[in-house]
Amino acid sequence: MPHRPSLPRRPVLLGAGLAATGFRPVLAQGIESAEAPRRTERWRDLREAIFGSRRAEPAGEALILTAPARALDAAAVPIAIALSAEAAPAVRAVTLVIDENPAPVAARFEAGPGGDLRTLSTRVRVDAYTFLHAVAETADGRLLETAQFIKAAGGCSAPLGGTLEAARQRLGRMRLVLPEGPPGPGRAVPVQVAVSHPNTSGMQIDQLTRLSIPAEFLRALRISYRGAEVMRIETDISIAENPTFGFALQGEPGGELRVEALDNRDRRFEAAWMLVPAG
Amino acid sequence: MSAPRRAILLAGLGALAAGAASGAASAVEVAPGLFVLPGLHEEASADNLDAIGNVGFVVGREAVAVVDPGGSLAHGQHLRRAIAAATPLPIRHIVLTHVHPDHVMGGAAFADCGAEVIGHARLPEALAQRHEFYGAMLAREMGAAAAGSAALAPTRLVAPGQDEMLELGGRALRLTAHPPAHTDHDLSLFDAATGTLWLSDLLFVERIPSLDGSLPGWRRVLEGLARWPGVMRAVPGHGPPAVDWPAAAAPLARYLDALERETRAAIATGIGLAEAPARVATAEAAGWRLAEAYHGRNVTAAYRELEWE
Ligand SMILES: [Zn+2]
Repeated sequence: MPHRPSLPRRPVLLGAGLAATGFRPVLAQGIESAEAPRRTERWRDLREAIFGSRRAEPAGEALILTAPARALDAAAVPIAIALSAEAAPAVRAVTLVIDENPAPVAARFEAGPGGDLRTLSTRVRVDAYTFLHAVAETADGRLLETAQFIKAAGGCSAPLGGTLEAARQRLGRMRLVLPEGPPGPGRAVPVQVAVSHPNTSGMQIDQLTRLSIPAEFLRALRISYRGAEVMRIETDISIAENPTFGFALQGEPGGELRVEALDNRDRRFEAAWMLVPAG
Repeated sequence: MSAPRRAILLAGLGALAAGAASGAASAVEVAPGLFVLPGLHEEASADNLDAIGNVGFVVGREAVAVVDPGGSLAHGQHLRRAIAAATPLPIRHIVLTHVHPDHVMGGAAFADCGAEVIGHARLPEALAQRHEFYGAMLAREMGAAAAGSAALAPTRLVAPGQDEMLELGGRALRLTAHPPAHTDHDLSLFDAATGTLWLSDLLFVERIPSLDGSLPGWRRVLEGLARWPGVMRAVPGHGPPAVDWPAAAAPLARYLDALERETRAAIATGIGLAEAPARVATAEAAGWRLAEAYHGRNVTAAYRELEWE
C-alpha cells in the first residue's frame, strides 16, 4: 500500500519522553527573576554586536513597542513600533531585535527620502519567552531603545500554515491593504504590504522526509512611491511566514506604489499598484 | 524494615490523593461496551493531570480498542485501570484521534501492552513536529506530575478516502481519516453496532473549539458527517460523554460560521491581525467555556488561513 511507510509493529515511545529529558519546571508567571541577570547580559552583548560601542538611551515616549504579553500564535506575533511626532523626523532607522531567537535581528527599517518611520508593524516568530527590543537611530547617531517582554514559545520551529507546495505556488504574490484609502495632500495613511513566501527558518521539519526544511527567507524589501524610495527593510528568519509590513505613507494620490523583494536564494519579486482614490 | 514499608505506604496514599485531587472521573458506558472517561473543562494542570479531554475504550468479544490514551502518564494509567475494571480482554488497538497532547501524551501508560497504534496518515509528521514541544509544555503546566508522559508512535496509518475496519470480535469499528478540519489529521470512529460516532475533537460541546487545521475544511467535514445514516449519538472530544447527533453540532457550526464570516469581513476592511481577535465573532464566542483562552487563537488561525485565499 503506497500510503503506508514501513513502521514498527509494536508500540514505541516517541522520543525519550519527559522522564529522560531531565525536564525542569519553568516559572510560567511574570519575568522569571532568576533569569533577569542573564537576560540583561544577553541584551548588552546583542546590542554591542549590532550597534558597536555606541551608547543607547532609554527612548521614553519617543519610541513605543507594542506586542501581546502572551502570543496567540508564536509563529505570527503582531508587533507595532511607533515613533512620537517629535522624534520621527530625526530617526533614520529602526531595528527590531528578538533577544532569544536563533537570529535575533528580526528586521531593520531604514527611511528613504520619501518616507518616515513613524508607525511600523510586522509579524514575527518567537522561539522562547524573551525580551523584544526596538532601537531607533537618529540622523546624528543617537540610539534610542525600548523593550517589551513576551511569553511565546516554539514559533521558529512551528509548522507552516499550509503545505510547502501551496506556499511555493503562491511564491512572490503580493497583497496591498489600504484600510483608509490612498494618501491625500498632507494626509498620511496606513499601508500594509505582504509577500507570499514561506520564509522558512531552517528549524521546521518537512512533512515527508522528516528532515529540516532549508531556510528560505526574504532578505530585503524596497518600497517606493511616485518614484521616491519610502523605505528599505532588511529581514531575516524571525519574520513570520508571508512577510507582512505596515507603515505610514504620505504624498499625492494617484501615484504608483512599488514593492521589490529579494530572498536568500537571490529570487526577486515585484509588484506595483496605482493608488487611485475610490469613486 | 519499617522505614521502606512506610515509604511504600506513603507512596500508595500519595497516589490515592492524586487521584482524588484530580477529580478522577469514572468511565461512563454510553452504549453497550463503549466507555468514555469524561474530561474536565480546564487547562492542563498538576491538579487535573491533563485529564481535560474525553478519552475511552470499546470492548468487543475478543479485544479492546482504546480511543486516545489520555493526556498524561497518570491519566493513561487511570484509563487503563478503568479498562481492567470493565473487562479482562486484552488491549489490541490504540487509536489516536489526533496529535493534541490531551489526547496522546498518556500513551506511555500503554507502552507495554503490545497493541497496534492507529492514526491518520499525517499523524506521524504532526508528532515529529510537535512531540518535543508538547513534552516541554506539559512539564511547564504540570510540573513533576508530567514525568513519564509521552505519545506512542503509530504502527498503522489510515489514509483519507480509504476507510478501514477495526475488528474487535462481533463488533467492527469503521475508521475514517478526514481532510483538514480541527487538525490536518483527524481520525473518527463509527461503531455500527450501537450507532455511535466517536468524533473526538471534530466535535466540541460547551468548551470552546480550538482551530488547528482548516476553518472551511472543518465546516465541510461537519456538514458531511451530519448526513451519515444510522448515527444515534456522538462522542465529542470535549463536552458530555455522549450527545445527540447531529443536533449537538449546532453550536459548533454556528461558531465556525461566525468565525469564518467575520474573519473574512475583517480582512476585507483592513483590520489587522493584531486587532482582529478583539473584534471578530466575539458575541458568538461569549457563550463558550474557556473562550478567553482560545478565541483569540482561533481568530488568528482563521485570519492566517483566509488572508491568502
Ligand atoms: Zn484537539
